[in-house]
Amino acid sequence: MAGPVEPDGPAQPDGPAQPDRQVEPDSTARPGGPVEPIVETRDLHKSFGENQILKGIDFAVNPGEVVSVIGASGSGKSTFLRCVNLLEWPTSGQVLYHGRDVLARGYKVTNYRTKLGMVFQQFNLFNNLNVLDNCVIGQVNSLGRAKSEARERALGYLGKVGMERYVEAKPRQLSGGQKQRVAIARALSMEPEALLFDEPTSALDPEMVGEVLSVMGELAQSGLTMVIVTHEMAFARDVSDRIAFMDGGVIAEEGPPAQLFGAPEKERTKEFLARFHAG
Amino acid sequence: MKKLIALGLLTLAAPLVLVACSGKAEPVLKVGMEAAYAPFNWTQHDSSNGAARIEGGGWAGGYDVEMAKLVAQDLGREVVVVKTSWDGLIPALESGKIDVIMAGMTPTEERKKAIDFSDPYYKSDIVIVVKADSKYADATSLADFSGARITAQISTTHYDTFLPQIPGVKKETAAQDFPTMILQVKTGKVDGYISERPGAMSAVASNPDLAFVAFDEGKGFDVEESETSIAIGLKKGSDLLAPINRALAKIPDDKREDLMKQAVDNQPAPTDEATDDLGFLGWVGYVVKNYWRWLLQGVGVTMLLALSGTVIGVALGLGVGVVRTIPADKQSAGPVKRVLLKAVNILLAIYVEVFRGTPMMVQAMVVYYGLGMAFGINLNVLVAGLLVVSINTGAYMAEIVRGGIQSVDPGQTEAAKAVGMKHWATMRGVILPQAIRNILPATGNEFVINIKDTSVLMVIGTSELFFEGRTIDGILYQTFPVYLLVAAIYLVLTFTTTRLLRLFERRLDGPENFTLATSSTTPESIIRTGDENYGRTR
Repeated sequence: MAGPVEPDGPAQPDGPAQPDRQVEPDSTARPGGPVEPIVETRDLHKSFGENQILKGIDFAVNPGEVVSVIGASGSGKSTFLRCVNLLEWPTSGQVLYHGRDVLARGYKVTNYRTKLGMVFQQFNLFNNLNVLDNCVIGQVNSLGRAKSEARERALGYLGKVGMERYVEAKPRQLSGGQKQRVAIARALSMEPEALLFDEPTSALDPEMVGEVLSVMGELAQSGLTMVIVTHEMAFARDVSDRIAFMDGGVIAEEGPPAQLFGAPEKERTKEFLARFHAG
Repeated sequence: MKKLIALGLLTLAAPLVLVACSGKAEPVLKVGMEAAYAPFNWTQHDSSNGAARIEGGGWAGGYDVEMAKLVAQDLGREVVVVKTSWDGLIPALESGKIDVIMAGMTPTEERKKAIDFSDPYYKSDIVIVVKADSKYADATSLADFSGARITAQISTTHYDTFLPQIPGVKKETAAQDFPTMILQVKTGKVDGYISERPGAMSAVASNPDLAFVAFDEGKGFDVEESETSIAIGLKKGSDLLAPINRALAKIPDDKREDLMKQAVDNQPAPTDEATDDLGFLGWVGYVVKNYWRWLLQGVGVTMLLALSGTVIGVALGLGVGVVRTIPADKQSAGPVKRVLLKAVNILLAIYVEVFRGTPMMVQAMVVYYGLGMAFGINLNVLVAGLLVVSINTGAYMAEIVRGGIQSVDPGQTEAAKAVGMKHWATMRGVILPQAIRNILPATGNEFVINIKDTSVLMVIGTSELFFEGRTIDGILYQTFPVYLLVAAIYLVLTFTTTRLLRLFERRLDGPENFTLATSSTTPESIIRTGDENYGRTR
């Protein structure tokens, strides 16, 4: 397991001055008031044939919130995240976007997906496009932005992740850490309401984990809404407003980092965390 | 690439326009013949000695042509020769591609079941062509050929009726044409072949090492008059029969003999001193010097067919491949769309299986002759050839494209979905560019295969390289030098093509390195460069 990143000193990405642009969350409201969640799932089930992966998940993420989803391999974390933006189609249950059921027939799924950015474990950069175009194609195709505008925004976000000097590079010419930073810039370029991270550092060599986590740390501080499936416990504790612990296809326990890591209530949570502390 | 396609289509359209125009001239008599059976008919490269125009290029001369001209004159028509392989003559007549067959054809009982025949326009006797220095050269009766290995042309009375009459003969496999049999005799593969006297005269004239054996009355083949005479083939019930017979009746026997003698003298086989001492290389040089125009035309047609066929086939294959990978699951398609997709998929699967599972040569016969017989659709040979090559390539490419699409990492599709891209946008902007790069080597392979495989189109008389080679061989009877030259040309074509495709692939991959943007590269300059549209529909 890679070492956790320093929580209070996210390294400045290299490169020239940051653009002025800030990632603007839709709402600055932090949990506390009666806010409407951006995305909510109710009694979400997912099976692959006989194999039941998700067994009823109730979950919500509010504007500006950073939620980390932890749990053992095979507990359903990634499947859950993929069900949220419908890369997997839930077997039953509801996925609500601002209260509207996105599983309903006739609902524009492609439109919904543009509101949720996704960062994959395997980066999934478009291999045929260079770094800049990776961040432009979605904007032009799905949001109908003019190319010049799309390029300008893409450059801004590439600057934010310290990759603006690599605009001409093809994905195969980049290291894993660089790829993942570009993937984050690609997701940000769509200016989504929330960003989903599916184990963003699991495919990285240990020495590259830091650069990606520091970028994510900055994003969390800027107020972006994030759902992060991760094995990086220290990072999760430091950046999250809330931790959800998944076990056997359900959310076994949920709460603020201090509570979940400091005084977990459930036996399974304790066992899981004990294995990490032991290492 | 776009220019190439445009060029291809343009060259493709040219013969169509020509064909369309030719329809307006004075009434023509379309005469079918091999134009490779001297002295009855042959191909030559100019109009000397009263040769007639061959549809699609070149000139035909010979006894058949001279007789055709006399008959056509009487009918008030102009002769146009349609060069057709022997086996294709009757189908061509039945499908209306030609009006008459004048190809040294004997009116046998079997043929009479399929087509009608005029009165005979030549009578001859049956001889055996042998090597001049063989023991059979002095034979005087059929019995002298006991134990000899003898062949004759496929689907002829020579092979079916006369050959079995030789007592104790070793019957060899039937041959496709006379040049082949001449070569077989010269190389000792067979001891002799059966021929009409005029054909034998020509063969011996151009091959001094051959001789032919004729037989006295009663010692030779048991021949019905109808079996040695030749007649004009007509479609069953054709109203041309009576006028043609009237025209033939006006041509007396001595005139016919004169024409046959002229034909034997005029045939283009190089019997003169210029070719007497030509060795193997000399013959190659002779072919290049005298027939380079034909070979070049053959190369042109071959490359046109291979290139346009591959381009159209790839486009077809891309279309089919993309349609066959449209997701048909419940989330991405409504019930109507799903049923529709399923039906289309079944049709496309049938298309792929049928055209992958049958020989292109057979497809060519079906498309060219079959469409004519069944629906009266008469395609120009070049168009028919192109059609066959294209749909054949399309069937192969469809599967290659499907594989190419499936070989692209599914993560690419997921990432495209995650930024809200729809199926077609994802295909155009992300998947197809990668799939096409993946299938490029296979596409090049298809192209090279097409260059070679267009040679099967000679069965419908498409004048591609192999067909031209056959024609030259039919004139010179120099099988080895001619085909070796043709083989060398094919090799040059395929080798050059492979190299060019490799170069193209490397260019497509782009440079190994990239340049880092420096402080002098302003964001504005990056934003303004390039004009790709990322697969977005305008």
